[in-house]
Amino acid sequence: MEAIWLYQFRLIVIGDSTVGKSCLIRRFTEGRFAQVSDPTVGVDFFSRLVEIEPGKRIKLQIWDTAGQERFRSITRAYYRNSVGGLLLFDITNRRSFQNVHEWLEETKVHVQPYQIVFVLVGHKCDLDTQRQVTRHEAEKLAAAYGMKYIETSARDAINVEKAFTDLTRDIYELVKRGEITIQEGWEGVKSGFVPNVVHSSEEVVKSERRCLC
Amino acid sequence: MSDKDDTETPVITETTPVLNDGNCEPGKNPESADQSAKPKNKPELVISTRRRPEVKCASDLETPEVQEPVSKDVTQSGWGYWGSWGKSLLSSASATVATVGQGISNVIEKAETSLGIPSPSEISSEVKFVAEETNTRDKENSLAGPFGVFSTISTAVQSTGKSVIAGGLDALEFIGKKTMDVIAEGDPGFKRTKGLMNRNSTLSQVLREAKEKEELWTANEVTMETDKNTHYGLLFDEFQGLSHLEALEMLSQESEIKVKSVLNSLSGEELETLKLELEQLKEAFSLAEFCDEEEEEQKGDEDFTKEITELFSQLHVSSKPEKVARARNTAYEWIKAMALAEKKEGEKELEGENTEKVSKNSVEAIHAFAIRSLAELTACSIELFHKTAALVLHGQKQDVTALQRSQTLSQVTVVLCKELSSLSKEFTTSLTTAGVKEKADALNPLITAVFLEASNSASYIQDAFQLLLPVLEISLIENRTESPTHEQQVLKPLSEH
Repeated sequence: MEAIWLYQFRLIVIGDSTVGKSCLIRRFTEGRFAQVSDPTVGVDFFSRLVEIEPGKRIKLQIWDTAGQERFRSITRAYYRNSVGGLLLFDITNRRSFQNVHEWLEETKVHVQPYQIVFVLVGHKCDLDTQRQVTRHEAEKLAAAYGMKYIETSARDAINVEKAFTDLTRDIYELVKRGEITIQEGWEGVKSGFVPNVVHSSEEVVKSERRCLC
Repeated sequence: MSDKDDTETPVITETTPVLNDGNCEPGKNPESADQSAKPKNKPELVISTRRRPEVKCASDLETPEVQEPVSKDVTQSGWGYWGSWGKSLLSSASATVATVGQGISNVIEKAETSLGIPSPSEISSEVKFVAEETNTRDKENSLAGPFGVFSTISTAVQSTGKSVIAGGLDALEFIGKKTMDVIAEGDPGFKRTKGLMNRNSTLSQVLREAKEKEELWTANEVTMETDKNTHYGLLFDEFQGLSHLEALEMLSQESEIKVKSVLNSLSGEELETLKLELEQLKEAFSLAEFCDEEEEEQKGDEDFTKEITELFSQLHVSSKPEKVARARNTAYEWIKAMALAEKKEGEKELEGENTEKVSKNSVEAIHAFAIRSLAELTACSIELFHKTAALVLHGQKQDVTALQRSQTLSQVTVVLCKELSSLSKEFTTSLTTAGVKEKADALNPLITAVFLEASNSASYIQDAFQLLLPVLEISLIENRTESPTHEQQVLKPLSEH
C-alpha cells in the first residue's frame, strides 16, 4: 500500500454480460487470470496505483459493474462519479459489439452534468480465430464517438496494462490542462496526498509543461 | 513524558469492557420495547462514528520521542476513544480551567493522573472548538464532518457531564457505556446530534473522512511502511470496505425512500396490515444476541466456515461467504504458525540465544497482522452484506420470506461479531505470549488497540446490518404486491421447483 499519489481517478468498466470485465480488472489489479468467475453482483470495487511518469502516481479506483440487465438500476448510479471508463465488448461476440451504441447512450443520460472519457476495448483478443468483429470496424466505431480503441486479453495479459494506463494518462492530461477539474460533490477526480516537497515541484513542472504545449 | 507509565498501564484493565461494550450493546435491545430498538441502536452508530475521527485528531498531535512508531499509533487510537470522554469530563469538571489537551491522548493521560489539571502547554483549539460548537450547535452546518459530529456529541456529553462525573474517575472504564445510557435517556443535545447525523452524515462519510485524514497524516508525517500497516482505516479501505459500505448505504437509502412512498400511498386496513408485517421485520433486526460470551469458547477451525455457509444457504442468495471464511481462516493459520514459531524461539532461548530483538519484532508483527486481519474480516463482512442487499433487491425470486431472511441475517451478524471477538482474543493471547519480556507500557497499548479495533469492527458490522432493514422491507412489500394472497405465496415456490 502506498499513501502517496497525485490524484485519484474513478474509472467505471461497462459492457455486456460475459465480455470479461471482471477478468480484465483482476488481471490488472491482481495480476492473475481467473478461469472461472461468478457473474458480478451489482458492483465490485478494485484499486491500483499507476505510475504515469517517474515519481508520479495516480490511484485508480475501478468500479466493476454487472453486465446483467437486472442490476442495471444499481450500476447506473455509478456513472455520475466516474471520470473515465472502459467500454468492453467481446471480439468473438458480435452482439456485444452491436450493443456498444446502447451503452454509450445509457451513459450519456446518466453521467450528466459531467463527462466520462471512454476507451473502447475489444476483449478476448487471444481468441482471434473466433473473431466476429474486425479491428477496422471497431476502430471506425470508436473514432465516430471520439474514443480510442484497444484490443486486450486478460488470459494472455495482452495490452491490459496499456488499456488502463493510456486512459489514465489521457485523463491526467485533461486534468493538467484544466479541462477536467476537481469539483465539490463529484468523486471522479480527487486530489491525492503529496508530501509538501513533491507538491511544490509538481506545481513548477505543471506550469512549465503548459508553456511547452 | 515521565507520566507515560502511569497513564498507559491502566489501559489493560479497560480493554475488555471496550469490547464488551461494543458487543453487548445490541444485546440489550431485545429487552427494551420494540420501538426503542432503533433509537437504542443509534448510540452504537454514534460511538463508532465518533471513535474513528479521533484517530485523526490524535494524529494531528505531534508525538515526540516515542519508542517505536507502531506503539505510538496504537497509543493514539487506543486512547482516542477514552480520550474524548476524558476531554468532555475535563471540560465539564473544570470549566474554569480553560485548558484541554491539544491531542486527545494527552488529555486522557492528564485525566488519568490528575483530573482537571492539564498542563497549560497542551492548550489548543480543542476547547475553543467545543465552545464554538456549543454556540453554533443549532446551525445544521456545524456537522460538517467527523469533527462536527464529535464536537457536538462532546457538548452533549458536557451537559450531562455532571451525572457522569459523579460516578468518579475510577469508573472511567465503564464510562463509555454509562454515559451513553445517560445521554440516551433524555438529553436533548444528543437527540439533536442524532437527528443531524441521520440527515447529513452517513457512517461511510465519517469513516471516509477519517481515513483521508489518516492518509494525509501518513503521507506527511510518516514514510515508513510499517506505520501504515497499523492504520485500521487505511487497511479497511484497501480491502474495499468503504466502497462496499457506501454501496450498501446507497441501496439502503433508495429502499427507504421506496418504503416511505409505499406507506404514504396506502391507507386504512391495508396500511395497518403492512405496518404490522414491517414491525415483525424490525424485530428480527433488533433481536441479535451478543452477550453469551464464554459459551463455546474454543470451537474447531471449520465451525465458523460451516456455520456461516449454512446460514447463507438459508438466505437463498447467490452470494457466498467464501471471502469472509478465507480471511478468517488465514488469520487463524497465521496465529497458529506464530505460536509454533514462538515455541521454537523458546527452545532456542533455553540454548542461550539472545531473543530479545526477535520477540520485539514478533510483537509488532502480531499487532500489525491483527489490525490487518480485523480490517479485512470487517471489509469482507460488509461486502457480503452489500452483495446480499443487491441480490435481495434484484436477484431471482426465491421461496424465502423477507422475515426469514432477516432472521438469518441477524444470526449472520451475531456469528461475525462473535468471530471478531474470539479472533481478537486469539491475537491478544498471542501478543501476551510473545511479549512476555516486553514492558507493560509497550505491550498494553498494542493489546488495547486490538480490542478497540475489534470493537469498532463489530460496530461497523452491526451498523451495516441495520442498513439492510429497508432493503428487506421493500423486498417484503414487493413480494406482497406480487402475490397478494397467502395461498399464492405458498404455491409459488412449489411451481418453481
